[in-house]
Amino acid sequence: MSRAYYWMVVPAFVLFFLLHTVPVLQGFYYSLTDYPGYGEHAFVGIRNYVNLFKDDRVLEAYLFTFQFAIVATILTNVIALAVAVGLNARIRFQTALRGIYFIPNVLAILIVGYIFNYLFANSVPAIFGGTNLLADPDLAWIGIVIVAVWQAVAFNIVIYLAGLQTIPEDLHEAAMIDGAGRWRRFWSVVFPLIAPFFTVNMVLSAKNFLQVFDHIVALTNGGPGSATTSVSLLIYTGGFQGGEYAYQTANAIVYFVIIVLVSIFQLRILQRREVTM
Amino acid sequence: MLRRLAAPLTLCLVMAGCAGDSRVTLDFFQFKPEATETFDKLIAAFEREHPNIRVVQNHVPNAETAIRARLVRGDVPDVLALSGNSVFGELAEAGVFRDFSGYAGRQAINPAVQKVLDDLGTYRRGEVNGLPMCTAANPILYNKAIFDQHGVQPPKTWDELIAAAKRFQAAGVTPFYLTLKDAWTALPTFNSLAANLAPPDFFAGRTADRTTFAQAYPDVARRLAELFQYGQPDRFSRGYDEGNREFAQGKSAMYLQGTFAIPAIREAEPDFEIGAFTPMERLVTGVDVVITMPREPRRPRESQLFVDYLMSPEVIRAYTREQVSIPSLKDAESDDPTLQPLMPYYAAGKVTGYPDHHIPLAVGLERLVQQFLIDGDQRELLAELDSEWDKVMERRS
Repeated sequence: MSRAYYWMVVPAFVLFFLLHTVPVLQGFYYSLTDYPGYGEHAFVGIRNYVNLFKDDRVLEAYLFTFQFAIVATILTNVIALAVAVGLNARIRFQTALRGIYFIPNVLAILIVGYIFNYLFANSVPAIFGGTNLLADPDLAWIGIVIVAVWQAVAFNIVIYLAGLQTIPEDLHEAAMIDGAGRWRRFWSVVFPLIAPFFTVNMVLSAKNFLQVFDHIVALTNGGPGSATTSVSLLIYTGGFQGGEYAYQTANAIVYFVIIVLVSIFQLRILQRREVTM
Repeated sequence: MLRRLAAPLTLCLVMAGCAGDSRVTLDFFQFKPEATETFDKLIAAFEREHPNIRVVQNHVPNAETAIRARLVRGDVPDVLALSGNSVFGELAEAGVFRDFSGYAGRQAINPAVQKVLDDLGTYRRGEVNGLPMCTAANPILYNKAIFDQHGVQPPKTWDELIAAAKRFQAAGVTPFYLTLKDAWTALPTFNSLAANLAPPDFFAGRTADRTTFAQAYPDVARRLAELFQYGQPDRFSRGYDEGNREFAQGKSAMYLQGTFAIPAIREAEPDFEIGAFTPMERLVTGVDVVITMPREPRRPRESQLFVDYLMSPEVIRAYTREQVSIPSLKDAESDDPTLQPLMPYYAAGKVTGYPDHHIPLAVGLERLVQQFLIDGDQRELLAELDSEWDKVMERRS
């Protein structure tokens, strides 16, 4: 074996280990203590983990986050795939339109959030009537879904476009000669062939939406009440502002394990239906 | 660009280090970003009086996190200006600060204000671990022009306040501009009600499980909800900054904010005079700036000189005039016209601290109050307060 491979692998491994694995292990250690974020601490065993399961506020945050992530993941992928198919067709201004659809991805979420905040509070009620979506505890999550999907679609379009371009033109022609209509061609030729890209997009968007934080900080800060408090936001507010660093670190460890499990589950299911040419 | 700046900057720092060898340098930790310039002026005057002392003002964002991090390393600044909140109490209890109980300059300080500060926590019973320089209060702010126009006098009781609110509403004027998108903006009112309506020893009783929020706080919740129905319809989509601006533009007769909002409101250039009153018996007040020094100072004489200077009546007056806060001296009144009507409360000792400083932040008081103001479910609010309190205490034990 050439030594060049080690030169490529070892530095990356060291960096990953120092900047990622070590902090995770440190966090795991703190989750077994009563550390408030400064000063002294004592070892308390698994008490923090036991308390997590008794805390209804934590349970509510998990429920909200999963509902949000499922709705946002489905919407993002449906819309992104539809737009990508459109952008892949022979249309005018194709390149310009592709550029425009990518813009939301390069904007900072906090800034987008504050702009949408203004739109929801002032413009939307003025044009369509009604009240501010974000001020209603039962509807505020819809506002967050709208902003999150609007922003996330941009990146997913790019991946779907890449996928669509891997499909050889002769397959389309063959299907057309066999008399397949547009829908038939999409479901029987296009969709099966871009399945690996569908898998990547589903897994990545689910993971990103499960970690939703910036959108909520910019739009509702977890409110009204605690209606839109996601798990990440709860970890941040409880751990850093509430002085319960160790307790919320335990929450973070549990959540990390859950996200890993969800991703593995998704990969298993989705990869089963991928086809190779 | 950066590189061109870096060389002269380094040179400056080195020179300053060299030039400072004959002078003693004091590290002055200061938490308030708005007050940086005011302190710069005060420091310049001090250095003219004491040519052998150099004071370096040290201000950082997130001062409370920063000071905790420095304490972990055992590195306490020579003189500190901190906010008189629960964090100060925690640090004082940990024995970080000096005991000022025998300090001569303390005679001039208003004892009621000193008590508010000491109640937050001290190292040993009877110690004084910080000197209050000035305070902020939680009155109700009002638009004098609108009050005059409708012939309404500043209310002195709760019933008068509700009557005034009804009268403005009937005349088509918004009584209160509410900013409940920022959940914390309900807390000044919550504090005023809790300090006056709940038993004074409530938190000691709650800690010992002798009482509950459900028993002691129904009145607080009821009046909070009663007052907040007199706000504008979009109260849940407006925030603090919008509130300051809209009140300055005369959009409401009254504004439920502490005196700390006054500089921001004046910045929007209102064309009326801002007034302040409280319908409650006792005025809720918090220590805006506490001056203190380490328990074991590195340069006791110089640190003490600077503390003496900061706590001298002239300096306190100069500071409070610029920052629109209330001097915590026995005989010194604020000459700010808005704050004037609040002075009798200080003179009579009818001031009290913030009740919410006793509620752990992890309870999430502001979110619970915001939820309550949306759905009006008083039983749910009080039950949640009790259960969150119990859960936090259990996690701490």
